[in-house]
Amino acid sequence: MDLLRRLLLGLTLSIAVLCAEGGAAGAEGRMTREYDMKAIFLFQFADFVNWPASTCPDTLTPITIGVLGNDPFGAGLDEVVAGETVGARKLVVRRFRTVEQVDSCHVLFICASEAGRLEHIHAKLMGRSVLTVGETKDFAARYGIVGFDVQRNRLKLRINVAAADSAKLTISSKLLRQAELVASKG
Amino acid sequence: MRTPRTTIRRKLILAIMLTSTTALALAGTALTIHEVTSLRALLARELATRAAILAANSTAALAFQNPEDASQVLAGLRTDPSIVAAALYDARGGVFATYPMGASAPLVPAAAGAMGNRLERASLLVSRPVMEGNRRLGSLFLRSDLRALDERVRAQVMAILVAVLGSMGVALALSAWLQGGIAQPVRILAETAKAVLDRKDYSVRARAVSDDELGVLAEGFNDMLAEIQRRDAELEQRVADRTAALEASNKELEAFSYSVSHDLRAPLRAIDGFSKALLEDCGDKLDQVGTKHLDRVRTATRQMGQLIDDLLNLARISRAELRRERFDLGAVGKEIAAELKRAQPEREGVQFVIAEGMTVVADTQLLRVVLDNLLRNAWKFTAKHPTARIELGQHRDNGHRVFFVTDDGAGFDMAHANLLFAPFQRLHRQSDFEGTGVGLATVQRIIHRHGGQLWADGAVERGASFSFTLSEVKS
Amino acid sequence: MTNTTILMAEDNPNDEELTLRALRKYNVSNEVVVVRDGQEALDYLFCAGEYASRSANVQPQVILLDINLPKVNGLEVLKRIRADKRTRTLPVVMLTSSAEERDRFAAYENHANSYIRKPVDFDQFTEAVRHLGLYWLVLNQPPPAPRSGNGR
Ligand SMILES: Nc1ncnc2c1ncn2[C@@H]1O[C@H](COP(=O)(O)OP(=O)(O)O)[C@@H](O)[C@H]1O
Ligand SMILES: [Mg+2]
Repeated sequence: MDLLRRLLLGLTLSIAVLCAEGGAAGAEGRMTREYDMKAIFLFQFADFVNWPASTCPDTLTPITIGVLGNDPFGAGLDEVVAGETVGARKLVVRRFRTVEQVDSCHVLFICASEAGRLEHIHAKLMGRSVLTVGETKDFAARYGIVGFDVQRNRLKLRINVAAADSAKLTISSKLLRQAELVASKG
Repeated sequence: MRTPRTTIRRKLILAIMLTSTTALALAGTALTIHEVTSLRALLARELATRAAILAANSTAALAFQNPEDASQVLAGLRTDPSIVAAALYDARGGVFATYPMGASAPLVPAAAGAMGNRLERASLLVSRPVMEGNRRLGSLFLRSDLRALDERVRAQVMAILVAVLGSMGVALALSAWLQGGIAQPVRILAETAKAVLDRKDYSVRARAVSDDELGVLAEGFNDMLAEIQRRDAELEQRVADRTAALEASNKELEAFSYSVSHDLRAPLRAIDGFSKALLEDCGDKLDQVGTKHLDRVRTATRQMGQLIDDLLNLARISRAELRRERFDLGAVGKEIAAELKRAQPEREGVQFVIAEGMTVVADTQLLRVVLDNLLRNAWKFTAKHPTARIELGQHRDNGHRVFFVTDDGAGFDMAHANLLFAPFQRLHRQSDFEGTGVGLATVQRIIHRHGGQLWADGAVERGASFSFTLSEVKS
Repeated sequence: MTNTTILMAEDNPNDEELTLRALRKYNVSNEVVVVRDGQEALDYLFCAGEYASRSANVQPQVILLDINLPKVNGLEVLKRIRADKRTRTLPVVMLTSSAEERDRFAAYENHANSYIRKPVDFDQFTEAVRHLGLYWLVLNQPPPAPRSGNGR
């Protein structure tokens, strides 16, 4: 099973991280493990979020995970998603350079490279049912719906329920329980 | 009538109780088994449901690597004391969260094992995968303490036991009440029967008891009693009638024989007396033929007197009450023999042989009449022989004592032996041997009254033998 | 005082004559008074009726009493004889044709001195009377006569 394989990978990575902590572990190693986690989380969102029917004309419409900006996952995200389905839907990964390119997309990871354009991206995606995930500070409160936050080697979630509501997304309460809920700012 | 050792009442109660107790015991057992299995199933179902809820609640925690939340979800198990331990394993099988916090083997396995339910001593172990959609995120382990189940089973069994005991009590009360419908009528019938038997009182009636077969039985019983009573009365009446008739005819007979003995004998006495007077007073005026005629008159008169006496004797014997006493038949025989010899001393050639020790228990007076007749007959029918031997003795035949009087006189023809014992029947001519023919009839009647038998043996000119038995009566 | 009279109570003239004949035959010369029924016998003994003039002090030496007597029967006469002081000790010989046991029993119960059954055979009858006469008239010592101051 691919997930198992990925988790095994994660495990080895964790061990690597643990080993590296003591020594002069490379920042790259730590970042890789972090993005593997983020890739898995992005993929898991598909299970805990409901999109409005308009985004999925039929039951076979794949769920698209988009990556906007400089992709930090490498092959990791593709590996995580490969062969996975939600119900009958396949999962696909698409990469976009600009927000204008984003057409059909369910989960959109906005890379750190887009930090300066967040205002613009936010405005551009306003009214569309896209679960925007970012990793900058205050992303959930200001520019999107879900924010990743790494604290003491653990990946934490922040979710803006009001933003999700206005995007017509239903987030499972189970997912909400795992997250810190934030209100919109500015 | 004996008193029954056990009563229908007890048997009925016993039967009802046995039946109901058996039924209750069976039902109780079945119920208990059913309770235990369904409680187990229920527990398994409950556990499965709980596991499913737990699994559903912990998907996100697993998915988003949140052991704190998983622990919190598991902590919710506190409300159920029967679940002693639980654990969540991640997709790789590693421990993700435990309940209680920090639990380890053997309370919870160190790594996820096979899925499914397992019984382990007093615990039910449930392992199930944790899925989100069709994605497996990990697995859940629950350990339920069956002691709680046992507790519940015990409570159930107790309840059943109490119910069974209660039902038995009710059954006892009911059977005691129900048996009345059968036992009571039977008891009444039995009591009535006993009363009838004990008091010989056929006027007793069984009370109407019930409207079933027992009622019919009681009715039949009453009808039977009525019939017996009716017949009793009828019989009594008949006996009374017969007794009265018998008494009347007895009185008549007595009066008859009384007057016979008086009124018939008196003229005979006159005939004989005056014939004698005629002979004495006018003897010289009569020739030989006249004298002979008068002799004949006197002989006939005497015969008639004898006949009357014999007949009266015969009648008296039928009426006389038997007075049995112990005496020696031989002694009586000897007296009669002596009397006979004294009356005709000229018959020196007659020898009497009389056995010793013939003790009997019988009516002395009547047995004297028997011996008198038999010995007198022997004496009479040996008269034409110059010498004679007359024996009175006894021998045993088939354990019975047989007495006999044997002579070696004229004897008789056995062809007519059947007539011997009928009154007035004689086998010899009056001109050869005088007699009335009533003697043997009298003898037979006396022997029969003593419950014995009488028979004769004889041959012409070879003598005769008369034998008789007496029913042995212990004195 | 006792004389040698014989009182004979007999209603059958044949028996009466034969008895007298038998007595004569054996030379019994005592006077014989014959009465024909029980009542007459009682009258004689107690000097009543026809015999009222008779002295009660003079009683027969023996009474021959037939049981079957008209009016008052022999047993009743016997009873009255025994019930009265004057006659209580008189010898009474019951004579009868019957061989009935109960008659004999009743006779002895009422203290008859003797009981004779009259046989049909005249020879036997005479024999009986002979014994009777011999005993009661010759051998028997009559009881002392009742005292004369006893009534009449
Ligand atoms: N000892 C005997 N020997 C021969 N015949 C006898 C003897 N005893 C009785 N009988 C016959 O039985 C008959 C009936 O006897 P029984 O009744 O005594 O009458 P009875 O003696 O008056 O003739 C006699 O007449 C005789 O024929
Ligand atoms: Mg005879």
